[in-house]
Amino acid sequence: MAPIQSVAVIGAGVMGAGIAAHIANAGAHVLLLDIVPPGATARNVIAQGALDRLKKIDPAPLMGTRAIRRITPGNIEDDLQKLKDCDWIIEAVLERVDVKQALYQKLGAVRKPGAIISSNTSTIPLHELVAGMPPDFIENFCITHFFNPPRYMRLLEVVGGTAGNFAALQAFADEKLGKTVINCNDTPGFIANRIGTYWIQCAMVLAQEMGLEIEEADAVMGRPMGFPTTGVFGLMDLVGIDLGPHVSASLARLLPAQDAFHAVNHGGEVVSRLIAEGYTGNKGKGGFYRSARGADGKRAKTVLSLAQAAGTLAWQPVQKPEIPLLKEARRDLKKLLSAEDKYGRYAWAVLGRVLAYTASLVPEIATDIADIDTAMRLGYTWKFGPFELIDQLGADWVAQQLTRLGLAVPPILQKLGAGKFYQPDASGALTQFTQAGGYGPIRRPAGILSLADIKRAQKPLLTHACASVWDLDDGVLCFEMHAEARGVMRNMLDADSLGMLEKTLALVEKNYKALVLYNDDPREQPQKVSFSQGANIGLVAMVANIRLWSKLEASIQDGQRIYQAMRYAPFPVVGAPVGLALGGGCEMLLHCAAVQAYAESYIGLVEVGVGLVPGWGGCATLLARWAADQQLPKGPMPPVAKVFEIISTATVARSAAEAMELKFLRPEDGITMNRDRLLADAKIRALAMAVDYHAPEAPVLHLPGESARVALAMAVEGFQRRGIATAHDVTVAAALAQVLSGGETDARAPMTEAQVMALERQSFMALVRTRESQARIKSIIDTGKPLRN
Amino acid sequence: MTSAVIAGYARSAFTPANKGTLARVRPDTLAAEVLRVLAARASVRLEDVEDLIVGCAFPEGEQGLNVARWIGLLAGLPLGTAAATLNRFCGSSMSAIHMAAGAVMMNAGEVFFCAGVESMSRVPMGGFNPMPSPKLYAQMPQAYIAMGDTAENVASRWQISRAAQEEFALASHRKAAAAQAEGRLADELVAFSDAKVNSIQDECIRADASAEALAGLKPAFSANGSVTAGTSSPLTDGAAAVLVCSEDYARRNGLPMLARIKSIAVAGCEPEIMGIGPVAASKKALARAGITAQELDVIELNEAFAAQALACIHDLALDPAKINLDGGAIALGHPLGATGARITGKAAALLKRVNGRYALATQCIGGGQGIATVLEAI
Repeated sequence: MAPIQSVAVIGAGVMGAGIAAHIANAGAHVLLLDIVPPGATARNVIAQGALDRLKKIDPAPLMGTRAIRRITPGNIEDDLQKLKDCDWIIEAVLERVDVKQALYQKLGAVRKPGAIISSNTSTIPLHELVAGMPPDFIENFCITHFFNPPRYMRLLEVVGGTAGNFAALQAFADEKLGKTVINCNDTPGFIANRIGTYWIQCAMVLAQEMGLEIEEADAVMGRPMGFPTTGVFGLMDLVGIDLGPHVSASLARLLPAQDAFHAVNHGGEVVSRLIAEGYTGNKGKGGFYRSARGADGKRAKTVLSLAQAAGTLAWQPVQKPEIPLLKEARRDLKKLLSAEDKYGRYAWAVLGRVLAYTASLVPEIATDIADIDTAMRLGYTWKFGPFELIDQLGADWVAQQLTRLGLAVPPILQKLGAGKFYQPDASGALTQFTQAGGYGPIRRPAGILSLADIKRAQKPLLTHACASVWDLDDGVLCFEMHAEARGVMRNMLDADSLGMLEKTLALVEKNYKALVLYNDDPREQPQKVSFSQGANIGLVAMVANIRLWSKLEASIQDGQRIYQAMRYAPFPVVGAPVGLALGGGCEMLLHCAAVQAYAESYIGLVEVGVGLVPGWGGCATLLARWAADQQLPKGPMPPVAKVFEIISTATVARSAAEAMELKFLRPEDGITMNRDRLLADAKIRALAMAVDYHAPEAPVLHLPGESARVALAMAVEGFQRRGIATAHDVTVAAALAQVLSGGETDARAPMTEAQVMALERQSFMALVRTRESQARIKSIIDTGKPLRN
Repeated sequence: MTSAVIAGYARSAFTPANKGTLARVRPDTLAAEVLRVLAARASVRLEDVEDLIVGCAFPEGEQGLNVARWIGLLAGLPLGTAAATLNRFCGSSMSAIHMAAGAVMMNAGEVFFCAGVESMSRVPMGGFNPMPSPKLYAQMPQAYIAMGDTAENVASRWQISRAAQEEFALASHRKAAAAQAEGRLADELVAFSDAKVNSIQDECIRADASAEALAGLKPAFSANGSVTAGTSSPLTDGAAAVLVCSEDYARRNGLPMLARIKSIAVAGCEPEIMGIGPVAASKKALARAGITAQELDVIELNEAFAAQALACIHDLALDPAKINLDGGAIALGHPLGATGARITGKAAALLKRVNGRYALATQCIGGGQGIATVLEAI
């Protein structure tokens, strides 16, 4: 089947536009159509308006600045014929069968043979959508249910799309859109909304019934259970309070009378009143939480009082609830769930119901429990799926506690007894508990390499608290960083981690073909995952404190030496980042023979934030890349000015695509859209490069010297006068300019990387000795926030 | 002895850099079109044109090399007509007129095209490779001072309030908007169109400018300053051209003369208050013309910034009612190299329109200079 190249989205609302944006992110051309509003002179006004909004939305629906050019706005009256060229037409219009079917009539008439039409419906079953449609239409129709925001939510629920003619769509969704496709049954709410809506209803209704205030409920029903840290009420504000009633109403209409959902589908008066008064959440003027001026005239976050909400809507200042149990729950969730106070009772009342409900839906909504867990992880950003939670708590404990709530123990839980839903087989691969009572494989698309599987099956070749080395087979090793700082895997670099890297390079050179640098925590959102947050500034602060300058300089030199060894190694090193790659972490990638980056990689040289300059070859490498850019005006200044702009403002790319525009990635580097496929893609790239591999040639730079320093100083002084740059910004910028201009070089004289790196060391050392830079470092360590001094 | 006269003036529309219609037009192409139309309107015999002198403040990239020669060839000037590019920053194309006038007076040619062009979209202010002298910067950093900072300096030294600057800027927009609405700009404008663009109208003028909107802007150059984007001339793309010839030639060939060039002057000043440059230059030019500022009927005073324009008006004791009758650079725009030709040509045209006797065109120049031209009715 021919791959999908051209897509159309009909309906330029929030979802339609967001889907179109993400299809453009995937590199495909997309037509975004909406109606012509009555009396409009500009006939594409709705789609065009959606396009304009895409550029302003935060978090950005688009990756980089170029994707938007792949979206063509239009309208369904004039542009219907253009749909003839589309391989896939996605309908994302009003949730009304009559409206959708009227559109389908038109689409069916123009689509090319074999083209797929799909609906983004979340509330209408497939059989209702296709009722009365011709067989040929039905054969090529399915539901593709995206989650909001489409760029960031990795779940795609597909209903009725498993036949062979949908293979290209499934492949496109997986490889290009980066989605994990879960093929769902045609049951109300499919998987994620069926469970998610029940969870939200339980959490809302029981909070009201059990007398919890909103911030208490959110504190309990968020982080401790691995649910979004916003909690349920905060989550509703985020997604839009007005959306919930539509989904609930559809579930109420479609679910059989005995379904447990009906028992919790009430208590919506508060929600109705909020919507009626325009409090639809963060997109409107606030919702359960809103920012309001206090008596002192300052804006502060306020929260709706649930106790009073029965009367009139009243918001009060948010008070962080003091619930000691929650700290204990981090170590042992059961402590919270079995506590007898109102928080413990609330926690179990909600979670117990959700776990029981979910378990009772097997096999109605899915035969594989792994599909349900995946859907909840990727569609609702739960850290753990419901069955994973049951495994953590113990299935027998859960069953016992359900009885305490007066709930029936679902058959699958009874069948499991004291066992686990997941257990590894002999090869280390996880298997899942099945209906039949045994264990079967977890189905996933071909070509995925999971480091977690490898780690279960083998011992590391090298290991240390900060990093381990794994054998990916076929002669490729994986260098995995896992250095925790303050409870978070930040992978900050120090002598230990760089020493491990050096040992690994030696090991690969001796016995292997290639090295991949990769680490990920698939349970975290990529924004919270760090490939590496750079050099360990805690150590820098300590060494600066005791004025061991020579040791500090030696460590800079060591980093430079090891990164150079990596760049000029006789085998390819492929960086495969997910999430943050900052400072020294960015420089690590800059020294790789190639990078295969997950699309959600956030790469940048942020050293100026702590009053320093990149010291491990970042300046030299970025200069060489920009100097080779044929698009820039000729002459010695443009590359220097561009790199100065990027580093002096600590620019962090908000996607791999943007990192490519900033040249943190090269055009020949790769971007993987599907997070699960990153390691495999990186390994394939490493193996391909390993054939007849030659280390790169060292760049020669021509830098402008002192006059560039003057030009940059003048610019920065202007920023200072305008109040944009602080006094120490001027000092840091001058030290950066010293490096980027080439120091005392003459514009005609060639410079080596090593010479520029010597300047990096000088500027770094000059800055780290200043009180102001030390204050910046301290601020980041103590508060996590940059100091503007 | 013959005298030098201005016998024609035309310009392109002035459009905002980067977002205006002309942002996509090469400056050499644009200037050539203005020149071609001016030549046709003036019905001058092209073989008689001695030289084409083009002012440009950042002559590199598409306006680099000796761009005057390429403009001449693009405009269809004969191979025998020479061409030179001249840089005195904002004073460039007024200097081109001075150079031509001097040549006429010493019988080094009878007919000259004096033009100016700047694409501030396509060649950034400061150029692609700003490389100031470290030596000069060490001994005199203000030599390279940014223009906005000079405006702040003038505002504080001459005590020009923010409100006064905004009132001046608003008046500039109102005059320009009225001139545009009443068709008073039509005669000087040259339309430009190609496959991509179609430019007919000035695009910097804000007919809807209001005191409230201006008062709401943040300072553009200094956190505590008084100069805003609204009281500064905008970055602009445009081209302008003037026909300078000897009075004898004009009479012999029946060319319609706008004004006689009575006197010219340039003068240097402190770079950090470059906006005051017109004062010394105008005083010299007025003295050379043997007249006082009170005798002027028309004044074109370039509005690089409202602050410097007001300071110059104060020091020269100019009559505001005679200044920039159809609006100034704050409203119309200031394509650096083109402005001198615009205000000199405009002063000549206005002198004729108001039936006055003397006109002054003057402007400030980055680095600390002023330039002035006194025109006399014929």
